[in-house]
Amino acid sequence: MSDLQQNQKHSILMVSDFFYPNFGGVENHIYYLSQCLLNLGHKVVVVTHAYGKRSGVRYMTGGLKVYYVPWRPFFNQNTFPTLYGTLPIIRTILIREKINIVHGHQTFSTLCHEALMHARIMGYKVVFTDHSLNGFSDAGSIHMNKVLQFTLADVSQAICVSHTSKENTVLRSDLAPEKVFVIPNAVDTAMFKPALERPSRLDIVIVVISRLVYRKGADLLVEVIPEVCRLNPNVRFIIGGDGPKRVRLEEMREKHSLQDRVDLLGAVPHTQVRSVLISGHIFLNSSLTEAFCIAILEAASCGLLTVSTRVGGVPEVVPDDMIVLAEPDPSDMVRSIQKAITMLPNIDPQVMHNRMRELYSWHDVAKRTKIVYDRALKCPDQNLLESLSRYLSCGAWAGKIFCLVMIFNFLLWHLLELWQPADDIEEAPDVILSRNCDGLEGCCRKHNNAENHKNSSDTNNIHDKNNIS
Amino acid sequence: MVEFSISNARYTYVHDQKYPSENADMHHIILRRSGSKYIFVYASALLVLACAIYLYFLEEKSISLVYYSLLFDIFLVKLLLRKPVNKESVVIMPAFGVQLETHYMSGKVVRCFVPIDKILKPVLLECVTPVTCYWTLSLIVREESEMVLVFKNLRPPIKMLVHVWKALCAATDNKEETCTHAK
Repeated sequence: MSDLQQNQKHSILMVSDFFYPNFGGVENHIYYLSQCLLNLGHKVVVVTHAYGKRSGVRYMTGGLKVYYVPWRPFFNQNTFPTLYGTLPIIRTILIREKINIVHGHQTFSTLCHEALMHARIMGYKVVFTDHSLNGFSDAGSIHMNKVLQFTLADVSQAICVSHTSKENTVLRSDLAPEKVFVIPNAVDTAMFKPALERPSRLDIVIVVISRLVYRKGADLLVEVIPEVCRLNPNVRFIIGGDGPKRVRLEEMREKHSLQDRVDLLGAVPHTQVRSVLISGHIFLNSSLTEAFCIAILEAASCGLLTVSTRVGGVPEVVPDDMIVLAEPDPSDMVRSIQKAITMLPNIDPQVMHNRMRELYSWHDVAKRTKIVYDRALKCPDQNLLESLSRYLSCGAWAGKIFCLVMIFNFLLWHLLELWQPADDIEEAPDVILSRNCDGLEGCCRKHNNAENHKNSSDTNNIHDKNNIS
Repeated sequence: MVEFSISNARYTYVHDQKYPSENADMHHIILRRSGSKYIFVYASALLVLACAIYLYFLEEKSISLVYYSLLFDIFLVKLLLRKPVNKESVVIMPAFGVQLETHYMSGKVVRCFVPIDKILKPVLLECVTPVTCYWTLSLIVREESEMVLVFKNLRPPIKMLVHVWKALCAATDNKEETCTHAK
């Protein structure tokens, strides 16, 4: 890649229904990636729906501009799928912010799918990041996979957070594997530091922080906790999180008289996650499906040994000596917890934290994502007919429906061009702030030139294999 | 005495100083009416009505069809030509206050006066609606939970708003803080 391309600055529009003030893996990913891209000198704008009274344009740290479009969430923090309702606002934002790449996040985001559809019809290069795994057999999954196939039929490049996720996405969407890149998530190690004093080993504290829902394996916890407590009188559990399965955990605690050994904290604000983690020795993740578990990274960064179910992309998350994997089966999980307890004397939280800081950096994620953007911009421009041929191959009936949807979208776009020409849309001035990495110490660490050179050459070598990990 | 004016397809901005001795300057945003739009709307309405009358007389359809078409025409004209506002003005009287005026096509004028000591700061904001984004000029007013919109009905472009904003900044002794934006 030439120096000119290496230094090319992009204007990126991040689109997703999931963003702050909501908290979660996708929200964190978009925020940290945006901050580090801003730090690299790119322009980043985020579009999401309004959250309560948070509506309109807001500016976040580092001059990150966020459009909270006043569309009310309809279900699960998603906007109502209108297909064409978002075209005028997306078009306006694309023009006024001088965008050249549209980056959509998460399969379950309606706004993301619609924005990518509009951007493609307007000739923009689009990138899609899939953050989760999805099934193939149930009605919801079949429908979602068809929607994903429609969105990815004409996408420039796609990103997945793990190899398992890549495999899943390729199978679900019929996307060419060479178009899909693997860029793992990272963790803000500055935010997740181990305690200055190591917790006492008299009591072994096992921490669980997750939403208490079926997918996160709350039912497994109900069976595992009593058995672990029976085998180890000095083990205590701290469970952070809320959800419909909390009732089952409370019933289990009552049934086995574990009130003094199992603490149910309820929902834990993101700012308090570290303080909960550092009070423990072992982090327990019982998810039944997971593309990439950021919670494991946060726990490892705080110096906790992790016990997790061997599902999805979890085995790819941290090195083998930092995690004990188990099958999603109560007896195997109990065995793995026992193994982890015996490993505890050899664990040094500070050493673990330092390793995590070396392994996982948002700065690195941003640099890898930039390579994907460069690739996307190199993709040849296609006219409507070329795009339609791709949609036609999406299925006997679905293909024809997708083509009609895109043709109608194309006509609507041209109608909007007549109604409000692009020249009439005023360009928004760019915010200029003095760039400073200190605010995101763990996210955007300053690298010296030698390190930069090494990283870029490494990334290029890996990039040739379509595996930016 | 017209000092300065800018025009685009929809709006005309006029800055005049009607009372030089009083040092009060006026900023007008005038809506430019599109003749072709009027012709298109009324032609569409007439076409709908003509079709209804034709069906009533020649095809012997129900008279209610004519009534419905009339209702539809009224709705169409109201919908497409709904902006009854002709002009919005800002009269800046230094050391006294700012008067916001809305001039309707009927001749009615609605005025709103904001005393100068109540204005904390005039600000240019980006507004987002479900379908578009536009710039607006607002006044942050003391002891008020909401800002006062300078142009309530019209959405003039930023190049027009900037002149009014600068004048308001000068009148309220606010520094023109544009350092955060690229020139």
